[in-house]
Amino acid sequence: SLEPLPVAGPDFGALGEEAELVEVEPESKQEILENKDVVVQHVHFDGLGRTKNEIIMYEIADVFKARNLIDVMRKSHEAREKLLRLGIFRQVDVLIDTCQGDDALPNGLDVTFEVTELRRLTGSYNTMVGNNEGSMVLGLKFPNLFGRAEKVTFQFSYGTKETSYGLSFFKPRPGSFEKNLSVNIYKVTGQFPWSSLRETDRGISTEFNFPIWKTNHTLKWEGVWRELGCLARTASFSVREESGHSLKSSISHAMVIDSRNSSILPKRGALLKINQELAGYAGGDVSFLKEDFEFQLNKQIFWDSVISASLWGGMLVPIGDKPSSIADRFYLGGPTSVRGFSMYSIGPQSEGDYLGGEAFWAGGLHLYTPLPFRPGQGGFGDLFRTHFFLNAGNLCNLNYGEGPRAHLQRLAECIRWSYGAGIVLRLGNIARLELNYCFPMGVQAGD
Amino acid sequence: AEPWPENAALYQQLKEEQILLSDNASSLAVQAFLQMCNLPIRVICRANAEYMSPSGKVPFIHVGNQVVSELGPIVQFVKAKGHSLSDGLDEVQKAEMKAYMELVNNMLLTAELYLQWCDDVTVEEITYPRYGSPYPWPLNRILSYQKQWEVRRKMKAIGWAGKTLEQVLEDVDQCCHALSQRLGTQPYFFNKQPTELDALVFGHLFTILTTQLITDELSEKVKNYSNLTAFCRRIEQQYFEGHEKD
Repeated sequence: SLEPLPVAGPDFGALGEEAELVEVEPESKQEILENKDVVVQHVHFDGLGRTKNEIIMYEIADVFKARNLIDVMRKSHEAREKLLRLGIFRQVDVLIDTCQGDDALPNGLDVTFEVTELRRLTGSYNTMVGNNEGSMVLGLKFPNLFGRAEKVTFQFSYGTKETSYGLSFFKPRPGSFEKNLSVNIYKVTGQFPWSSLRETDRGISTEFNFPIWKTNHTLKWEGVWRELGCLARTASFSVREESGHSLKSSISHAMVIDSRNSSILPKRGALLKINQELAGYAGGDVSFLKEDFEFQLNKQIFWDSVISASLWGGMLVPIGDKPSSIADRFYLGGPTSVRGFSMYSIGPQSEGDYLGGEAFWAGGLHLYTPLPFRPGQGGFGDLFRTHFFLNAGNLCNLNYGEGPRAHLQRLAECIRWSYGAGIVLRLGNIARLELNYCFPMGVQAGD
Repeated sequence: AEPWPENAALYQQLKEEQILLSDNASSLAVQAFLQMCNLPIRVICRANAEYMSPSGKVPFIHVGNQVVSELGPIVQFVKAKGHSLSDGLDEVQKAEMKAYMELVNNMLLTAELYLQWCDDVTVEEITYPRYGSPYPWPLNRILSYQKQWEVRRKMKAIGWAGKTLEQVLEDVDQCCHALSQRLGTQPYFFNKQPTELDALVFGHLFTILTTQLITDELSEKVKNYSNLTAFCRRIEQQYFEGHEKD
């Protein structure tokens, strides 16, 4: 199935994982202020226009609790980061000074935040690169629409394979930015040459995000009008039979725990994503229960090398007697799952068109090391890594009448796997470029 | 050329709840043609037949691994396999046959489409419920409106948008008159042997005679010509009795 364009857009402004808190060394001549008790008496804001006061108050509340100078500086820095992540200010500067005026205490401090609000309307032009396709994205954004960090975004994307547009409304809860609501209306078109299929989705979704302890949860309702068609006159009849219109109305829940330090070439940390979707109980004519998960563990070992293990899997259970739709099934294969196999070209197929499967699992074991002899160390060379990998996976349809034993057996037979080595180049925080030499094994007829 | 396979299939919309007059007529024409050629075919009803078709029109046939839609291309396809009904005709007759087939397509088929999609009463009471019946709300409404917009645009392009129902029925009458004259007292349009023209005319007239609409005005126009009704009955008895007409 297709995903609408992400609401937040590509994430450029976030705190990069390389940034660290800057510690200020006091000069030896000046009084050591570290342990001196201070009281934050006033916090000023310069430059607020349409932003409402309440949301500011929540983000800076901690500054008042600081008890010594270093603490004030640290809390102000954190407040500054919080204000920036609201996405409503272009710039936030912090000034800490002693208190002046009649009611000034001898150890009183004034903290001033000088902010510049974003313009009411901003336009943007980005290029996005995904799995072997590229697109140009035109965007219009109305940040901080009503003063409480609401955001309305309109995006239009024209790509090598798909064209889409979307309108979304985003509202965070004042005081806890991680709790937010967004409503999207979108049209997305996709072409899938491995299945000779084209898909157009027009839909509405409402999404509610909230954190619970260390996990991030998302509850979403989605109503999508899907139109499937053949990409070419030579499409197989099985794909031709799936052409037409369907309406999916589904509720889904996703949980994410991510402790990695980066999503592209993480050095440490783990990721766990569990996603479930139930369709058909609130209208629509597509009815199923879908579960999928992704798990990744990264560990740094000797010599600046990282070992990474990942496992993912999923299952689609149609409810009722209608068979599952090609738009809902899982696909496997390609440079992000089982290397050495063509894109999404593992599993059930008909006349060369891959139909997807109702159950799958995939796993990978990767070893990333710096380039041999470390050319360009400390600079450009650090963006490259050598990469040794072992990937495996299987995709099939399950006969749900049989028990779990039979299911496990089916998933365990005919495993496709591959191993190989290559070079990985990291592109900022958004993408990685890989050049690998692979040995695919366990190839089944039709893959 | 490969022989005609056993599992050849013809696809159309669902017969009871969904298919509309014009599509039913087109499908019946193809079925009659294949019967006349003595080629067995199974009729399979699918709700998404219209979208499965490579040209967007029903019916289409799936023979071996070829998919061919609409009567014209199907006649060509069948001819390439060595079966033809019009081989016995000379050039003049072939041209005449093509001309009459054009007449049926331009007059009868267009009139059926007009009645289904441009006559407000028929649209509300018959077309919308039937066309959207396999789909849940609001998809049924969206698809019906979308199709209606397309048909209306086509009507505008050929100049039928301004016509009233009376004018359309007049056109139907004129068309039936021309067909009736050509048929005369012969069993088929080209005397002894049926051709694709017979299949096409049968498909449309039989469907008009047997489909229940809001009023009987359309079928009355056909009933005025007794040789046409006899023609329909004759073909029905000869080629469709003894099979399940599904």
